[in-house]
Order: sequence, then C-alpha cells, then structure tokens
Amino acid sequence: MVAAKSIYKRYSFLWMLVPALAIYTMLIAYPFVSSLALSFFKWPGIGPKEYVGLANYKNVLTGYMSREFYRALGHNVIFFILSWLTGIIPGLIFALFLSAGIWGTNFFKTLFFIPNTLSIVIVGFLWSLLLNPQWGFINQALKIVGLGVLAKPWLGDTTLALPTIILVNAWRSMGFFILTFLAGIVGIDREMFEAARIDGANEWQIITKIIVPQLIPIIGTLTILKVIWSFNVFDIVFAMEGTQAGPAGSTDVLGTLFYRIAFGGLGSSDVGMGLGATVVTLIFLIVFPISIIYVYLVEKRTKAG
Amino acid sequence: MLKLNSLQKSIILILLVVWALVNIFPLGVMFISGFKTTREIFMDPFGLPKKWTFNSYVKAWHVANFAAYFKNSIIVSLVSIVLILFVSSMGAYVLARFDFPGRRLIYLYIIAGLVLPVRLAIIPIFLLIRSFRLNDTLFALFLVYTAGGISFSTFLLVNFFENIPVDLEDAARIDGAGVFRIYWQINLPLLRPALATVTIFNFIRVWNDFFFPLIFIDTDAKKTIPLGIQNFFGEFDIQWDLLFGALNIAIIPIIIFFLILSRQFIAGLTEGAIK
Repeated sequence: MVAAKSIYKRYSFLWMLVPALAIYTMLIAYPFVSSLALSFFKWPGIGPKEYVGLANYKNVLTGYMSREFYRALGHNVIFFILSWLTGIIPGLIFALFLSAGIWGTNFFKTLFFIPNTLSIVIVGFLWSLLLNPQWGFINQALKIVGLGVLAKPWLGDTTLALPTIILVNAWRSMGFFILTFLAGIVGIDREMFEAARIDGANEWQIITKIIVPQLIPIIGTLTILKVIWSFNVFDIVFAMEGTQAGPAGSTDVLGTLFYRIAFGGLGSSDVGMGLGATVVTLIFLIVFPISIIYVYLVEKRTKAG
Repeated sequence: MLKLNSLQKSIILILLVVWALVNIFPLGVMFISGFKTTREIFMDPFGLPKKWTFNSYVKAWHVANFAAYFKNSIIVSLVSIVLILFVSSMGAYVLARFDFPGRRLIYLYIIAGLVLPVRLAIIPIFLLIRSFRLNDTLFALFLVYTAGGISFSTFLLVNFFENIPVDLEDAARIDGAGVFRIYWQINLPLLRPALATVTIFNFIRVWNDFFFPLIFIDTDAKKTIPLGIQNFFGEFDIQWDLLFGALNIAIIPIIIFFLILSRQFIAGLTEGAIK
C-alpha cells in the first residue's frame, strides 16, 4: 500500500503526458491500424462488415480495379519525377543566386515565398481561371507576344493536363525549396571557400565541388518529402480537374481514386470503405519505407546538433 | 559568399527579377481583376479598370456566406492552435525533463506521426467522428487538427527544452512548487520562441486545409474558407468578377499577415520540414 502510493507519487507527473498521448492514439495511431484491418472487409459504410480476406487486394492489383489503380499510380510516379525536376533543380539554382550577395536579396526571399503561404485549392482555382481556354490570361499573353500557336487548352488536353497541374504545383512550392536550400548554403563554413580560393579554385568549382556536395543531405531530405507529397497529392487535382480527375481520367491520382471509392461514389467502378482502405494501405506501403528513412535522418541530424 | 563580377551579377539579377514577375503576375492579375466588371475582365484582360469598383467584393461577401467562412476559419485555427500548444508543451515537458520506464519508446511512438500522412487514416477517423455524432461540426475539425499537430509540435518542443537550463526548475522545486506550476510559470515563458514556430506552422496547415472540411462539413454555414470557395466556383461559373472578388478576399489577408511576420513564417514552415 505504501509502496503503491510512493510509486504513484513518484510518477505523478505522467498525467501531463496523457492528453497528447490520448488524442494522438485515438485519432492517428488507432485509425492507421484500423484502416489496415478494414482493408480485409467488404463494407459499404453502414450495416455488417463481411470478411473477404485478400479479395480487395486482388481486385485492386489484378482484378477489375487494376486498370484504374495502375493508371493513377503511374500518374503519381510522373508527378514525383516532374515535380522533382521542376522543384529541386530550379530551387537550388535560385538559392545559389540569392546567396551571391546581390542587392535586394531579402526582398526576393520574401516575395518568392508568398505563393507557398496560400492554400493549395485556392492556388488551383486561381490558375484554372488564368488557364481558361476562352479568356485565360496565359493564352492571351501568348497571343500578344506572337506565340499564339502555343495557346492551348491546358487543362482540357489529355496529354497537357497533368504536366500543367505539376507546373502550377511547382509555382506554389518553389519558395519553400529556394529558402530551404538557401538556409543550407548559408550554413556552410565560409572558410572552406577561402581555402579553395587560395588553392586556385574558381567560383564554378566552389559551387560544384563544395556547395552542392554539402547540400546532399538537404537534397535527400527534400527528395523524400517530395515522394511523400507526390503519393498523397489530392487538393490540387481536385481543385483543377474535380473528383473525376479529367479530361478522361488523365490526371487521376491515387488520392482522387481513393476519394471516389470511399466518399464520392460517382464514376468509380466500385464503392466501399473496405476497398478504399485497401487503396490507402497500398499508398501507405509505398510511402512508409521512405518515411522511415526520413525519420532516421531527421533524428540523426537533430542529435548531431 | 560567391565572388562574382558585375556582368554575372547583372545576369543573376535579371533572372531573379524574371522569377519575381512569374510570382507576382498571377497574383497581380487576380488583385486587379477583383476591381473590374465581368465585361471589363473579358474585353480588356490586361488593362487597369476604368473605374475601380469594390462591387465584386461586396457581392462575393453577400452572395456567398463569406462572413461565416471567415469566422469559421478563425475559430478553427484559434481553438486548434491553443489545444496543440497546451497539449504538446505539457507532453514535451514530461518527455524532456523526466525519466521513467518507456520514455524513449513513447517519444518514438509520437514522432512516428511526423511521417504518417493523417489523411491515409481518414476512413476510421471519419467513422470515429461519426460515432461521436460530431460530423458536420467544427469540433470534428478541432480534434483532427489537434491530433495532426501533436507529433511535429512535441518533437520541436522536446528539442527546444534542451536549450533551457534546468537550474531554474531546481530552485523552484526547493521552494515547493508542484510539477504543473514549474511547467506553467517557469518553462512556458522560456519556450516562447519555439511556441511561435509551432503556432505559425500549425496556423498555415489548419487555415489552408481543404481535405478535412471536405470530408466532415456539409452545412454551408459551417464551412471554412477553402471549402466555401470551392462551391462558390461551382455556382458562379460565369460571373468572373465574383470569382476574382472571392479569391481576393481569401488570399489578401494571409498575404498581409505573411508580410508582417515573414521571418517567423519562413522559419516556421521550412523548419517544419527539415529540422
């Protein structure tokens, strides 16, 4: 009795951890496990659940849903590759520009970051007005500068729509990449530059032999984030092409496919919470190993100071 | 940093200006079009409005439930952020300052959430909220946003605690202060810089979120700005002055807020991902 009391007293501070732990467990940890479990059931959302084993996975991976699934998965892969190329590389280049000590650097930094503070759906709506085929500013501007042939129905063309959405996404997130790289460049020990100059290195060599290698960990982290974001993309496609991810499904990603199956109904070959949970679990299986690496890197870097 | 000649500097400056224009141009078009009539928007897309009119703003504000959207966005952001700050800082305090069996494991369990995209668990979350009869209420959003903010906030605060000297606490403990009072009176004020980062990171996340209101909210009067604007676009397809007015109402406040606190914003959002 006395011992129990003293243990209670000794660990009485633990109650302060309870709210965070309880909310997190109830609304994050438990739902993840529960979602996994749900993927083995057939269930329209109400009424009894029917255990179907791996049938949902079979339907998605090799059965009647597989065509839609692989098409969406392919679009996610394209999203990752193109958004990496249009995000990481120009982000690094502009960060180098901003590190050159040119007039107005702070002004540019702030300005470049503005789009990143805006809601993705709102950015999507704004650009769908700008890209509108009848009126759209972009087409009008192309005509004025004599490039009228390039005026296209950007969001209505099955080959152009996805790259257009990716570019709009790049427009919004560029500031984030620029400033993250810039923070990395500023953190590099300046003495390394001086030492290299004494050894006769030119500025180009300083960039390629010192700065870029020093930025590899940041490039790695940003690449991982890009993977996680690319496989979870939803808002921008929804805003610019709707739940059907038109034209003719040419911008359909796993996020919109999942939404239709679990919540939308319309236009999907099947509806259901179990099938939806299956798609989500598959997304999770793709993203999870990469996420583990991310946590490991972040932990390591924090420990290193 | 880099030593460049003036030609190189000029080229770089030109490229920076070009990219600046690419950033400003869409926002400028949006801003100016908000003062035009639909007719002017179509006839003279690049010109300035002949007469600057606030009509589109007034119409958008009244036709759509914008006053309600705004109020809801503010309430949801405020409540969620207060909850996140309180819950995470208490948890971080315990994890950073006390030793107990399983401490390390609990910490890892919580920061695992850094990389679990919450929306992947949306079906069970939806069912849970529905079983509490909280769907179509702002409470659903408070809960989801608070839960989604705990991992990052706790992680950042635990790290920050390492910079706060323990001596101050020992002195207070000798004076007989309880654990909660030490946390509240001594540590919380010292945590302020980290709390600011947590606030801004979560503010942007919550204020801009579209997905959870889309799942949980049906009643128009309970929508937040990103969800409200979505219906607006469906309904007023041809009244472009209204569309631009609505976009301006949604975007301008956040840009002004950002310009006032740009340093904190940039730190909050980039640290959020990289730190």
